[in-house]
Amino acid sequence: MKRCRYWRMRIPEAIYGELDAKGRGEMDRHIAACKECAALYDKMAAAVRKMEARPAPDRPPQYWEGYWDRLEARMAHEAEAPRVRRTLRIPAWAYSAASAVLLVSLGIFIGRTLLRPRPELIPVARTASSGTAMGTGQPALETGSVTPAFAIRASRYLKRSRVLLLAVVNSEPREEDPFRLNLPLQKRTSEELLQEAAVLKKGLRSSDRRLERLISDLEMILLQIANLASDSDDSDIEIIRAGVESRDILFKINLSEGRRPSPKSPAGQPRA
Amino acid sequence: MSHEDQARLADRLISGDPSAFRELVEAFKRKVYGLAYEMTRNHADAEDISQITFMKIHKAIGTLKPGYGLSTWIYQIAHNSAIDHLRKKPFFPKEALPSQTSERLLDGPPDSAPGPDKVAESANLRGRIDEALAGFSERERAVFVLRHYHDLKVREIAQTLGITLGSVKSYLFRSIQKLQKALGDAETCPDDGERP
Repeated sequence: MKRCRYWRMRIPEAIYGELDAKGRGEMDRHIAACKECAALYDKMAAAVRKMEARPAPDRPPQYWEGYWDRLEARMAHEAEAPRVRRTLRIPAWAYSAASAVLLVSLGIFIGRTLLRPRPELIPVARTASSGTAMGTGQPALETGSVTPAFAIRASRYLKRSRVLLLAVVNSEPREEDPFRLNLPLQKRTSEELLQEAAVLKKGLRSSDRRLERLISDLEMILLQIANLASDSDDSDIEIIRAGVESRDILFKINLSEGRRPSPKSPAGQPRA
Repeated sequence: MSHEDQARLADRLISGDPSAFRELVEAFKRKVYGLAYEMTRNHADAEDISQITFMKIHKAIGTLKPGYGLSTWIYQIAHNSAIDHLRKKPFFPKEALPSQTSERLLDGPPDSAPGPDKVAESANLRGRIDEALAGFSERERAVFVLRHYHDLKVREIAQTLGITLGSVKSYLFRSIQKLQKALGDAETCPDDGERP
């Protein structure tokens, strides 16, 4: 006689009628001889019979009536979808090109915004290897590069201009004082500063518009000083004084000097 | 559908008969849907899986060989589609699933004029069966459903699921035993199979 394990494993087949006549006969003989297997058979068969209370899942008839139409529609949609996807597909090289353009744009943006030097630190001229300016021993300026020498030169120009303007604005021609104007000296200084202004403006090339405007304003005043007559009266000085005040020349010089590092004046430089 | 009918339908599909596919869908839609529902316990998923199954069948008609069991082939595709669906689906604890009992009561065929006690008793039994089925593993559920609801022989189930005959018998035995324990007091054979 075969072991119980063998017959128990065949109980489901017996319940669902899958055993052939010979197998079914052997199963019946084992069950008749083994109460435990017989009890298990009965319980399992009863459980399967209870499954009658739970019919196979089904849907209402109207659900099945529309089933084919829904399936057909979906199949048509699925057949269409890959074609649309193929049409709209972007080639791989386009992503690479777009990435490259984006990177370049980002680089330009960073370069123009984050890495741009502050305007006050842009000396835009460099000393040329040949030639001097105004016979002062200073090297001539060449535009297009950045050197500290240019900043020093511009600062020196502004300082000299301020000293000259202060002397002219504060002078009292009618009074006999030790600080009265020495017109020949100040006219000569004005001429020198005018030449220096021309060089500085050329060197700036619109890189520092504020300084450029200040130099232009100063040029007007320096020109007036340079053209003063030897016997000029108080009215000529008054015109210059009004020009300096109306344009806030001295204030602008101070402001410009405050924005720039103060260069050390080399010894032996001419002063106004 | 008898085996002869299935063989004829398979031949028509292979020969490219345009009406054969619709005939196949009409013949198997309830079975495919039923298997998908038992595997997922969700009507929307069952609809999705059954449609996917038929679309796969439509694409694979060219691979169908004459004489090959049509129903076995269809169940194989349906089962694989259901498993794929379950693998893709996010995990939800069983407690979070909707009550299958209520859905069953709505969708199942009505009892023939049952009294209130009988309705309550039947609903209670269905609920216990649903709970028991929910406790089956995927394999146990597939084997049991194919045997009980789809009347596939053990050999056909083995072919459908790609497992051995012994495994099918084992899964079927375990699933019925779980069902029996869930529906009544369980008793085991004391000798554990060593009886001569």
